[in-house]
Amino acid sequence: MDDNQVVASLVRRCAAGDAVAWEEIVQRFNRRIYNICYRFTGSQHDAEDLAQEVFIKIYRTLKSYDTDKGAFMTWVATLTRNLLVDHFRKSKQDRVTDSMDEPITAEQDSISMAERLEDVGPSPDARLQARETQEMVHKALQKLSPELREAVILRDLQDMDYREIALALKVPEGTVKSRINRGRTELARLLSRTYRQVS
Amino acid sequence: MSEESQSGMQCLDFDALLSEAIDGTLSGAELEQFEAHRKACASCGPMFAEAQHGMKLLRGLAEVEPPANFVHNVLTATIGRAATTVQAARPRESWWERLRGGIRPALGPVLQPKFAMSFAMAFFSISLVLNLAGVKVANLRHLDLSPNAIMRGAYEAQARVVKYYENIRFVYEIESRVQELKRATTPEESGPPAEKEKDRKDRSDKPDRKYQNYSREREAVTMARLFDSPPLADQVFARRNS
Repeated sequence: MDDNQVVASLVRRCAAGDAVAWEEIVQRFNRRIYNICYRFTGSQHDAEDLAQEVFIKIYRTLKSYDTDKGAFMTWVATLTRNLLVDHFRKSKQDRVTDSMDEPITAEQDSISMAERLEDVGPSPDARLQARETQEMVHKALQKLSPELREAVILRDLQDMDYREIALALKVPEGTVKSRINRGRTELARLLSRTYRQVS
Repeated sequence: MSEESQSGMQCLDFDALLSEAIDGTLSGAELEQFEAHRKACASCGPMFAEAQHGMKLLRGLAEVEPPANFVHNVLTATIGRAATTVQAARPRESWWERLRGGIRPALGPVLQPKFAMSFAMAFFSISLVLNLAGVKVANLRHLDLSPNAIMRGAYEAQARVVKYYENIRFVYEIESRVQELKRATTPEESGPPAEKEKDRKDRSDKPDRKYQNYSREREAVTMARLFDSPPLADQVFARRNS
């Protein structure tokens, strides 16, 4: 029995009122949902509240999930994304996205930064550098627009395929690819600028 | 950006294939055309590098751990009780993390800054009082707290209380006997002159007051009872020796 079948079985048992099955669903998905919320909101406190809301919504609407329409994780990602977008609208944390229409100049050589950031070794200095890099990336992620952010989170952090992301975000696959490309490019540019300001 | 390069691929096509190229799923003629355009186009080449770099940075982000009580909170919010049986999917935790995760929900209200402050103040007050009272915590380690020692201490304390009570009682009885003997040996005449003197002083028109000596009445009863029984000192000594 593969993972999808196990999850489908758990969902059926849970919908029938099996509390143990629900516990197992929570144990299986809590890390993924929490991470999506954390990377999207940038705050541990908000992530905890939102992830809990996601689980409450899943629990209440579990009977509406149709196993034939897609993977459970896709359905969960859709619910999570909807709640995150609602939260974003409520909190009005509209982030300014840097324009992608800006011409790329020779100065914006993010390659040199890439080489430096990827140089992660076992020494304490390297570990410190890696941690700082992660913090910078996490902060830069918050500066992306919600559309680009959710696309790169689902693709690069949750490793979902384009079709699943398209289903979760309710947009065509081409749009998903475009947003992912723009999100990645935007992030690299933001970090390149930050790095130049620091150094 | 939309102009066609020498490779025969337009920038829009390049953009559409960018994700697959970064994922490494392009092959054949499509890959050749993509590579040729990437090298030739001044816009698409750097964009490819940036997108690839951005992807590497994002994938380098480590997964964060949810708070220790997160699952507990979710289960409480949904089914109204904490996790009971399912532990298989949870990553292995050290005994300290398990202990901390276990006690945190129970001690949640206690582990607050204001409670810590109150606790610190209480501890400080108790320490101060003990210091003033001369109690040293270091001396407490000499205490023998075994059940036998505690019982022995209790019996000794009880024996001391009984002995003290008997001693006090014996002293009072002796005292009482001495007073009785004094009264018995005191002449009766000593009373009337005092009364005469008092009468001389009290010449008012007040009605005569009846002076009643209640203590003497009580003493008379006591003496009657005492003489019926054997000597009290003998009784006490007999009881203490038994």
